Amino acid sequence: MPRITIDGTVYEFEGRPKLLQFCLDHGIELPHFCYHPALSIPANCRQCLVEVGMPVIDRETGKPKRDENGQPVIQFMPKLQTSCSLDMADGMVVKTHRTSEKVARAQRDNLEFLLINHPLDCPICDQAGKCPLQIQAYKYGPEGSRFEFLKVHKPKRVKLGPRVMLDAERCINCTRCVRFTDEISKSHQLTIIERGVKNYPITPPGVEFDDPYSMNVIDLCPVGALTSIDARFKARPWEMSATPSITITNAKGSNCYYWVRDNLIVEITARANAAVNGYWLPDEDRLDYHRFNENRPDGPEVRRDGRLVRVSWEEAYDRAVELLAGIDGRRILFLGSAYATVEDNYLLKRLAEALGADTPVYIPHIEPGHGDGWLRTDDRTPNAQGCQRLGILPVDEALVRSRLESGEIQAIYVLEDDPVGSGLFTAEALADIPVILHYYNTTNQTLVVADVALPAATVVETVGTYVNCDGHAQRVRPAKAIRTVNRVLMQEIGKSRLDQHGTPYDRWYNEKHQVDCKPSWEILPEVAERLGHPLRYKGPKYIMQEIAETIPAFAGATYEAMGLEGVRLAEIGAEV
Amino acid sequence: MADFIKKPVVPLPELHPEPQIPADQLFFTEEEKAKIARFKEQYLEPAGAVMKTLWLAQEKFGFLPPEVLQLVADELGIPYAQVYGVATFYTQYYKEKKGKYVLDVCTCFTCQVCGGYDILHYLEEKLGIHKGETTPDGLFTLQEVECLGACGSAPVLQVSNGPYVHNLTPEKVDQLLEDLKQGKLPPFVSLTLPQDEAELGGNRRSDAEAVESYRTPPIAHHTR
Ligand code: SF4
Ligand code: FES
Ligand code: FES
Repeated sequence: MPRITIDGTVYEFEGRPKLLQFCLDHGIELPHFCYHPALSIPANCRQCLVEVGMPVIDRETGKPKRDENGQPVIQFMPKLQTSCSLDMADGMVVKTHRTSEKVARAQRDNLEFLLINHPLDCPICDQAGKCPLQIQAYKYGPEGSRFEFLKVHKPKRVKLGPRVMLDAERCINCTRCVRFTDEISKSHQLTIIERGVKNYPITPPGVEFDDPYSMNVIDLCPVGALTSIDARFKARPWEMSATPSITITNAKGSNCYYWVRDNLIVEITARANAAVNGYWLPDEDRLDYHRFNENRPDGPEVRRDGRLVRVSWEEAYDRAVELLAGIDGRRILFLGSAYATVEDNYLLKRLAEALGADTPVYIPHIEPGHGDGWLRTDDRTPNAQGCQRLGILPVDEALVRSRLESGEIQAIYVLEDDPVGSGLFTAEALADIPVILHYYNTTNQTLVVADVALPAATVVETVGTYVNCDGHAQRVRPAKAIRTVNRVLMQEIGKSRLDQHGTPYDRWYNEKHQVDCKPSWEILPEVAERLGHPLRYKGPKYIMQEIAETIPAFAGATYEAMGLEGVRLAEIGAEV
Repeated sequence: MADFIKKPVVPLPELHPEPQIPADQLFFTEEEKAKIARFKEQYLEPAGAVMKTLWLAQEKFGFLPPEVLQLVADELGIPYAQVYGVATFYTQYYKEKKGKYVLDVCTCFTCQVCGGYDILHYLEEKLGIHKGETTPDGLFTLQEVECLGACGSAPVLQVSNGPYVHNLTPEKVDQLLEDLKQGKLPPFVSLTLPQDEAELGGNRRSDAEAVESYRTPPIAHHTR
């Protein structure tokens, strides 16, 4: 197998990898800006320089020449090479800044050049704290600058489009943003204009940067030149925690980080997962966080004298049971939810079974034409496939309506959805029967007829599993704390936040904006138990374990296996 | 450049400008289209023909406002943004309307030493405009440029991306303006290299007879 020596250590490799990517894959850090694994390689930032040599081949024997110690003689290339664009070759010898003063010097000088006209406005820059330029300037850069002249001023605060703001002074012209629009999203809306010290990326005249994937350039930009108009100046990176999870705007389940400050979601950014979304996230997924912050309920309520009044959780459970107890289980309609996790739907299904009711059905939320064959889908729910794999199928609207009219349905139990808002039933039709509702937002139109309203934890507050449209099962983790105490959630939040924020013991902890809600996997067992059907689990992890063991469509989908990247389930109906 | 160093500010181009070429004039004739098709054949990718096509468009429309760049992009089947990037990269593509004749006076090192600024200021006074401006009659645009690559015969100016006028003196400038007003462009003058000096009897000055052999493309239409 071909070998390469990097800083004295020998590595074996296959194929013809690029040196920079190989180093990054092997934990050898090399500073770089313009290189991105998903984009073409322009080698224009010159930050990734290394010294490269090849063994000298004896012309006569065709064998490598050896010195008196029997070591191959290495001839180093006269100039430093950009590792990002360098194909590795057998016998190659590489010196990085760790072993070569020349390389360290080149990296330092290159950074001095990159910073010559940089405004150095880190104190007011959104990127500060997670900025590759800042980090690498600290690590590899010079102490100061020798440039004593006026810096070039370029346009600032330019709205490239509805969602992306440009500060051209901060740009280092790595062309990542331009390459993204040319090679990945193919909207071709950006270009670098002008030349020399005057150049920067912008849209051509008359063009809006309204690419539905435009905000990916914010993640790509290695400096603070492209920032999110939505998130600008809201919070510094170090004031937020970032939780790896998935988005629920559609059925793709793209991987993301939820950035949280004071228990509010401030921003959503992309998280790489080759099996689902690559490095990218549609803009709609990034901006779809208001539902977690706004119009959230304040604790459970029950209807008394026609009005919903705030009660304790215990009272709410008791009231739900009181309403359901007198009714023949077969006359209760259980509505599952493509917004809820697999675990929650599974518990609902078990409860329905225990009461002798029909298997729950779910309300599909399909928006024809919304999908783009990439990361947006027509289906606006994250877990339709998870429901189907549980045997929870789309509701037959005409059928349930007629059953309701004929009085065959005498109560409905709704898991995290809105049958009135979605048009399945009218509010009048539900007015006279008990309605138990797990819900996320006070904008839920079924609330007007709900007899027991139970605030449910959203994807950013719970632990659970979603199955995307391709059958990829993925775990979600709590990004923000809820008001009630739940040991499983507390443990998970401690594990899932990359930093230390948010545990009750550190100084960042605060109780602002905590929503008084509970995950449905906590609510459902409470209700079931009171109805005489114990449904106790030690936590969602154990629910999922049971699902993976007992339902073939979920084979292998344990929490351990899903980890951060999820597992691909066998196709439905396939032999397992 | 000197001004830029004193006040290094890069302006933001107008993001939503009004079109300047009337819509009914904004097209390529069949003949031009055939020419562009031939340009395309010369390169591996259509994008390769962008510079030639821009040049053709500039000769046709006089300058390259966004709508012309869009026309070029459509004709070549390449992104408009890419054409815009190329057009702004090169200073010899005119993004604004210019006078009939553009006088590019070199004030770079050598010309500066040999009196490039004197020539520039002389022209400014004579035409009654500042550099970067166009005379009210639309005849002349005066510009200051960096090295034209003819330092050997400094000071130098170039007329409309075309012929050079070497070894400038006020008298030569007067003559040039007179000629241009008559519609007469200066001839292309071939510069000799030092090794040719002997051949020319020691005369390196370009005032020697003009020869055709060293024509420097591109050659603007109206200079033929
Ligand atoms: S704006 Fe950012 S991504 Fe785009 S070229 Fe500049 S530094 Fe690179
Ligand atoms: S990363 Fe290699 S030149 Fe930019
Ligand atoms: S300095 Fe004027 S032509 Fe070179």
